Amino acid sequence: MNVLELKDVTKKYGSFTAVENVSLELEPGKVLSLLGPSGCGKTTTLRIIAGFAVPDGGTVQIAGEDVGQLKPYERNVGLLFQDYALFPHMTVAQNVAYGMRYRGAPAAAIPSRIKQMLSLVQLGGMEARYPNQLSGGQQQRVALARALATDPKVVLLDEPLSALDAKLRLELRIELKEILRSVGATTIVVTHDQEEALSLGDEVVIMHAGGIVQRGAPTQIYQSPANKFVAEFVGRSNWFQVIRSGQSVAGFTSYITSDGVEIRAKSPPSGYNGGSDLCVRPEHIELIDSAAPEALRGAEHNSMTGVVLDVASLGPDVHVVVELPGKARVLAIRKNAGRIQGLAPGQCVRAVFSAADVLVF
Amino acid sequence: MKSARYKLLLLLPAVAVFVLFLVFPILIVLNESFHTFEPGRIGSVEGGPLTLANYAELFQPVYGQYFAQTYVLAICSSAVSIVFAFPIAYCIARAEFAWMQKASISAIVGLMFLSSLVRVYALELTFGSTGVLAPLMSIMDINTNSRLYINFVILAGLLQYCIPMSILILIGAIKNLNPRLTEAALSLGAPALAAHLTVTIPLSIRGIVSAFLVSMTLGVSAFVIPLILGRGRILFISNLIYSRFSEIANYPSGAAISIVMMVLALLLILVMSRLATSLERA
Ligand SMILES: Nc1ncnc2c1ncn2[C@@H]1O[C@H](COP(=O)(O)OP(=O)(O)OP(=O)(O)O)[C@@H](O)[C@H]1O
Ligand SMILES: [Mg+2]
Repeated sequence: MNVLELKDVTKKYGSFTAVENVSLELEPGKVLSLLGPSGCGKTTTLRIIAGFAVPDGGTVQIAGEDVGQLKPYERNVGLLFQDYALFPHMTVAQNVAYGMRYRGAPAAAIPSRIKQMLSLVQLGGMEARYPNQLSGGQQQRVALARALATDPKVVLLDEPLSALDAKLRLELRIELKEILRSVGATTIVVTHDQEEALSLGDEVVIMHAGGIVQRGAPTQIYQSPANKFVAEFVGRSNWFQVIRSGQSVAGFTSYITSDGVEIRAKSPPSGYNGGSDLCVRPEHIELIDSAAPEALRGAEHNSMTGVVLDVASLGPDVHVVVELPGKARVLAIRKNAGRIQGLAPGQCVRAVFSAADVLVF
Repeated sequence: MKSARYKLLLLLPAVAVFVLFLVFPILIVLNESFHTFEPGRIGSVEGGPLTLANYAELFQPVYGQYFAQTYVLAICSSAVSIVFAFPIAYCIARAEFAWMQKASISAIVGLMFLSSLVRVYALELTFGSTGVLAPLMSIMDINTNSRLYINFVILAGLLQYCIPMSILILIGAIKNLNPRLTEAALSLGAPALAAHLTVTIPLSIRGIVSAFLVSMTLGVSAFVIPLILGRGRILFISNLIYSRFSEIANYPSGAAISIVMMVLALLLILVMSRLATSLERA
């Protein structure tokens, strides 16, 4: 049975629709990432589930029960706020214990539960501190412990890591994933960081302008984005605008782009009207010596010569910008394995990518 | 260094005004309070010996009644106005639309501009012994001439000032509070009242103490309200001080009472801010 079920939930602020016909369901113990650009309605969706915003339409069910008429405190939803909202006048232990008595924990069980929660988030020994005596990362853990301490049916995390610096964010992300898995919490994580969304979620939901545009496993979202918005939003991509399509051979079609480049890709779905976009992920573009024999020529491959414009070494990855004929620029990402030493601006290279890797929209 | 000295220079006019018009007159009052008074004179005997008699006199029970009367009503009105003002201030501070907030604040400020005499006489005309509601009171067997009743009418008069003032002060305090904190309490299972009692109120304690102190100041120094609504049967210390100075011209006694009032006010501020600090970490 689904722990959480949203059906056609809509929320309007005046004439502005913040959330439109959102339907979601969540199985026990699963983590769902809610990913979308700023202002797309992620927080509003969480607030509707938690009971702080009243939807104008649709229903919310928690553990099979319609919670439309329930107050926030009657819902048993654990909420982690973006700014943590720790109670500044209470110690760490008091913060973590706060929800327990209201959720019916026997008084005798509270101290051991506090201990258990704090060791879960690796904050043993900090019981007596006040929130303003903690670092940002520690505050985040206290907030998580507080939200999990009541054993909520659904845990809602609103941008749980966004207030932290980049290095700490990565560390805590891994830790957060472990903690959520170890307590088996049914969770929605809201984020506008795609890496966070893809790594934390068993499934990812992409939101745009108040609605859900795609839902799927992280790899599915990345490899087969449902539309141009998702492809653009998740991961990096090179875009080509098609002006006309040419002949089709063995399931692959040649497209002529606005830059005059010919690109082969999977044949479009039936009903194709001639104007569309092609997307190539940077890591799918291989750069080889332009003098190398054109061994990969064929209907299922694209191969074109270009000039290297820029080489940027970003740690594990090297980003290479190549100018193709017709001034089209593409970004290719290669692993920094030392093999591409010598690649320098001005150099002629051959960019090769499989037609199967080209996304057609 | 130089600029710091210039900055001090800028303070000078304010300090001069402060010293000339506040500190100096208070010193005169202080001095007066230690002099002897001879009935029939205006003010103290010049060149007479210094005495503590004016202060000693205040230990007589009759003065205790004045002080008790004033402080009990002031404390009641301050406490009641906090209880009434807090929910209103909360609603205004958390109003969904900005215009609601502006409209409410304007209405409250407007209310405070209403002349005190008008308000006090309005109360008297309504609740006084010959007021519009007097017949109703007699039906309900309420004696409009009893001390208790008069106390209630004075309390109502004080609340007219203290509630709007407290609302304005508390709006500021609540707006400074992250609304997510109350929501966090709710999401952790605390019913609305419990969430406010354990989170919203402890975190607004500074504002509550300020509102309480301002209400106390208004209440303790109230003059017109007890003068008219007290109908001569209930008087506040301000009325006593007034009669000392202008009716029997006993300046030394009036001065001593004033000084005691000032010391009590300072003590109150001290106690309340201590209390606030200890409550904040509870
Ligand atoms: N109380 C409100 N009144 C009016 N408009 C609101 C209100 N709350 C949110 N909105 C609007 O609804 C839209 C969605 O807001 P929401 O907070 O859900 O965005 P979000 O996806 O969480 O964005 P972010 O990533 O920036 O946090 C925004 O355009 C916002 O301006
Ligand atoms: Mg948000």
